[in-house]
Amino acid sequence: MAASAADVRSILAIPDPAPKAGPSKPKKAQTAAAIRKQEGITREVQGLIGGSAAGLAVQYAKPRLKQKPNLGGSGKTHWELRAFKNKGRSDDLELKHWVKSTTDPTAGYPFAKYNIQSTSYTYSQDEYTRFLDDREWTKEETDYLFSIVREYDTRWYIIHDSYDYPGGMPRTLEDLKDRYYSVCRKLVRNRPWAGDEISKNQLIQSFQFDKDRELTRKKYLLSLENRTQEQIVEEEALYIEIKRLEQNERKFKKERDDLLRTLAGVDSGLPDIIEDDGTPLGITGDAKRKKKGGTAMDIDSPATPSVASIATPVVKRPQTARNAAYDAQHCIIRTDPPLTSSATKAAHQPAYLRSFKLPVPKAAIAPKITQALAELGISHSRLVMPTKDNCVQLEALLDATTALVETKRLVDKVQADIDVIKEQIALREGRGMEGTTEPSVALDAMEMDDTNEVEAEPEGEDGRAQSVVSTRSVRSRKQTRRSMSISSVDTTATVSTRAGTKRKR
Amino acid sequence: MVNYGGDEVSALVVDIGSSSLRAGYAGDDTPKAIIPTSYGYKPAPPDVDISMEEGSEAANKSPLATMHLGQSGPSIWRAGMEVGNPLIEGLIQDFNPIRPLIDHAITEVMRCNPSEHPILLTEPTWNTPANRERMAEIMFEEFQVPAFYIANTGVLNAFAAGKGSALVIDVGQAMASVTPVVDGFVLRKGLAYSPLPKLVHAHARHTLISPTPTRRGIDLYPHQLIANKLPVDLGQPPKFTLREDRLAGTTDSWKAWAEGREVDEWIQSVAGVLDQGWNDQLAAMRPPKQYEFPTGYNANFGAERFNVGEQFFWHSPQLVASNANLPKTIPALITESLRACDPELRQVLMGNVVLTGGGSLFSGFADRLSTELMRTFPHTKIHAPGNPVERRYGGWLGGSILASLGTFHQLWISKEEWQEHGAAIVGQRCK
Repeated sequence: MAASAADVRSILAIPDPAPKAGPSKPKKAQTAAAIRKQEGITREVQGLIGGSAAGLAVQYAKPRLKQKPNLGGSGKTHWELRAFKNKGRSDDLELKHWVKSTTDPTAGYPFAKYNIQSTSYTYSQDEYTRFLDDREWTKEETDYLFSIVREYDTRWYIIHDSYDYPGGMPRTLEDLKDRYYSVCRKLVRNRPWAGDEISKNQLIQSFQFDKDRELTRKKYLLSLENRTQEQIVEEEALYIEIKRLEQNERKFKKERDDLLRTLAGVDSGLPDIIEDDGTPLGITGDAKRKKKGGTAMDIDSPATPSVASIATPVVKRPQTARNAAYDAQHCIIRTDPPLTSSATKAAHQPAYLRSFKLPVPKAAIAPKITQALAELGISHSRLVMPTKDNCVQLEALLDATTALVETKRLVDKVQADIDVIKEQIALREGRGMEGTTEPSVALDAMEMDDTNEVEAEPEGEDGRAQSVVSTRSVRSRKQTRRSMSISSVDTTATVSTRAGTKRKR
Repeated sequence: MVNYGGDEVSALVVDIGSSSLRAGYAGDDTPKAIIPTSYGYKPAPPDVDISMEEGSEAANKSPLATMHLGQSGPSIWRAGMEVGNPLIEGLIQDFNPIRPLIDHAITEVMRCNPSEHPILLTEPTWNTPANRERMAEIMFEEFQVPAFYIANTGVLNAFAAGKGSALVIDVGQAMASVTPVVDGFVLRKGLAYSPLPKLVHAHARHTLISPTPTRRGIDLYPHQLIANKLPVDLGQPPKFTLREDRLAGTTDSWKAWAEGREVDEWIQSVAGVLDQGWNDQLAAMRPPKQYEFPTGYNANFGAERFNVGEQFFWHSPQLVASNANLPKTIPALITESLRACDPELRQVLMGNVVLTGGGSLFSGFADRLSTELMRTFPHTKIHAPGNPVERRYGGWLGGSILASLGTFHQLWISKEEWQEHGAAIVGQRCK
């Protein structure tokens, strides 16, 4: 038996929410509405608290739990076992598979669209006799070839593998390809073409097959495979070497360019081709020469034509009569590049103005030369017309002046030496008889030097040093000679004097 | 559905090998039924076929009247039971037990009705056209399958490895083969195969049964024939008693089969191969392994256990001289196969070497093969699944993949086509 809300209320002595008096209809409806629905409170509790606990009910909002995942979209999906037919098949085989019941049963089998046949060429007997006749191929064998190509979708390795024409001669893969593609080409070329010329050419192009080239390529492949271990190792080493050289070359070129740009503001003027191609090709040539013993690695052969072009990297125009005449007419004077230096880029001379390279006197004696020239009333630093002849003359003048100044200086120095030694001898003779022999030897040497120097004077216009050295070296040990050859005239003089003083002690 | 290309039509895949027959649903990753291909049978008493005139079929069928198939087939001793195997060198030579074997796998083990499922069957590359047509006949006429296809194990193994082009090295129980596969087709001119595993087995058996300076020849009695045995020390003669009651009823073929199993057990647990080629010192340095035979005899096997695996890769000149048609070694097979291939293909194939077959699980096999191949082809990549199921049932797995593809279903030979075109359709459809 269920206790009504009124019973509970009377037990707990709760006043009746709706006074029983005045049971008019609209009022009752209102109470009912108030009581009716309180979210989240069970009916029994609702009955207990009655309509007065509206504020309480607000707190009893339904707890919000984590939303349940909505699996499988809206509702369940039905799958059904359905029989289907495949349009790719020529027969009526019915297989069964499970599909969603929502899929359209009238739609075709979705995988049938992958059944694509490649376009295959066919020809009539007439076409064959007109265009396709070939001495090595009969029509029957060509037919067989086309059927097997169609069957295996131009997978040539498999076609070649399963090619077995009864009574036919053995065919290589290239034979088959060549025949097939040449037939296709001829058919396309000789048939009326609906589209434009470009597309026709493109199609013909796609059937291009160069049998000889393929054969050579295969040959290369084979030789590549037949390399011995040593050959492979050597090849790799050479390859690394080339890479290294190329890198060096590039770095060097870049540095030189930078330097020239900053110092002279000019480009090196060297064609790039020399650095970038010249060296590697030179190396490959080397490699080939080394390889000659084993299997010739003809893979490199594409490089050979450019090797020839590289052989004369610096453009050297031969001096033909025509050229000479042309030069004379246009006042062109050619200077030969320095012969001593090889044609490496280090010795390369870019174009320059002649006035840039006017001879400059040696820094040590420059003021003396300037002074000497000034006495003559000549300014060497400013050449009004630096023509070729003028330049040559100025150079000769400077050389002569330099020789003159040098000679004078030496004469002064030797004179001073002689004076000093004479004084010393006089001093020694005055003092006593100790150590007579050695100084006399030293003196001998000095005198010899003197005479030689005097002899050498007339011929020496470009350096006293050489003549001094040569005469001295005859007598002195090799070591001294070596040190002398790199020292200047002044030092030789001091060395000789110092030697003299040493011996004296 | 179309996205991954699968569309399952509940096809069955049946892969018959020398040691086991695998059957299962296409789309699965493991065959549901794996039963030994060897079967036990009791020959009919000779007085039955006195009247030979009645027809040779009756005479042929009668030996198979009582056949014992499956897991409790040949492995259970039965008085007078012979053991047969329909396959010789990977090819089915005796079609009589084929139907009961397939029937057992499909209806007894898998519990399904072959007439309701398309069936994909596998064949080795060297299968004959007559054989495959006979198989198609069995399938259509005896099992009433709605559709049938026969696929090449080489191709299927490549598919199982996820490759369209591969050099498949398949070492089974009876045959070792190297098959170049390009674009899902076998290059038949590049096929090379030899019964090499049989030679290894024979070598192992010879190693065990022939006496050496340190031990007597080992008895290979299977446990079915041993009544009791006592534990003995390492290398001591075994103490066991045979079941005299069974000896009389044991047939030669059963005994050979059971001893073969003992040898295989020994090979699988003890034998191995050195990964860097034969070297006496290295072989001696490897730790010996102990093995106990059913008789209770147990011994340590040292260098000789590596000599067994060496037979896969190298044969001594004396052996070659004494035996003219010795099966080719694995490196020889690979060389032969590659030589027949286009030079352009060799690099592709060597980059996709697939090692498969239960025999390739031989301890150290993959490492040794890798060393051998790296010597000549530095860019070789060998795909050898670590999962034994994938390795042993690669052919089945490839079939399972193939037969569950949506695009494959247009290739089935339907019953209608079979009835219309006859046996010729098999050669036309299954390349």
